Amino acid sequence: MLPTYCPGCHAQLKVKCMKCESCQTEVTGLYDLPVLALLPEVDQQFVLRFVKNSGSLKEMASKLKLSYPTVRNMLNEIISKLNSYEK
Amino acid sequence: MKSKNLSEFLFNPFTRIAGWQAFGIGLIFIALMGVIGTYANIIFDGVIDMHIEHETTLTHSFILLAIDIISLVFVMFVAGLFIAGKFRFVDILGTMTLSKAPFLLLAIVGFFTKMPDMSDVLKDPFIMLSSPSLVFLLLLSLPVILWSIALMYNGFKVSTGAKGTKLTITFITAVFVAEIISKVLIHFILKRL
Repeated sequence: MLPTYCPGCHAQLKVKCMKCESCQTEVTGLYDLPVLALLPEVDQQFVLRFVKNSGSLKEMASKLKLSYPTVRNMLNEIISKLNSYEK
Repeated sequence: MKSKNLSEFLFNPFTRIAGWQAFGIGLIFIALMGVIGTYANIIFDGVIDMHIEHETTLTHSFILLAIDIISLVFVMFVAGLFIAGKFRFVDILGTMTLSKAPFLLLAIVGFFTKMPDMSDVLKDPFIMLSSPSLVFLLLLSLPVILWSIALMYNGFKVSTGAKGTKLTITFITAVFVAEIISKVLIHFILKRL
């Protein structure tokens, strides 16, 4: 799991360096993490499943063995988290 | 872990069951409540009410139950519109119908309860204490009502996705309003029959 928050002060981390494993080139800078990467792992898994199920909450609910409104509430929680990250 | 599952099953089954499925299961409970309640001389005359009534009929019992469910679902749906954005009517319908399920316990216990003659009770109310099964039924009614209210709360919460103080205040108000509406409807509808 990609660390997204500073273990010292809990501020949001940024990407400083990326490396090519093939030629060992390193690209350094100060890049924002993608918004989806800021979500906790469980929420990222949910988003992944949601996309793989063509955005069908009914299918998600049946696969997760949860009720439709429960799955919809989980999605609403993720949406509000994403909105808060974007602010 | 097991106790968590049991408590979820008893108090918040709506994380797994809602919509038409909950409505279908709820209707089975309602039908059993109507039939057993009639033969047990128990009526459910309000959203969170249970009373002993001698010589009740199946029609009378089912009319009361229908009024209960319609009042509860209607008020909770309107309350949901105030505090939540998008939600499905069928989820409110299903969760609220299933929330009445604990009352079946009272109908079943009432079936085995020895009811004293009402004319004797009117003369001396303490005569009720002479029937231990009746005392048990009356004592059981409080936890059953609380259980049903807990189910209603969780059903409302899951169906609307609302949370916080707004949810609690709206829910409490809605239960009171639904109870009043059901009592008024029972009064007017049964008077015409």
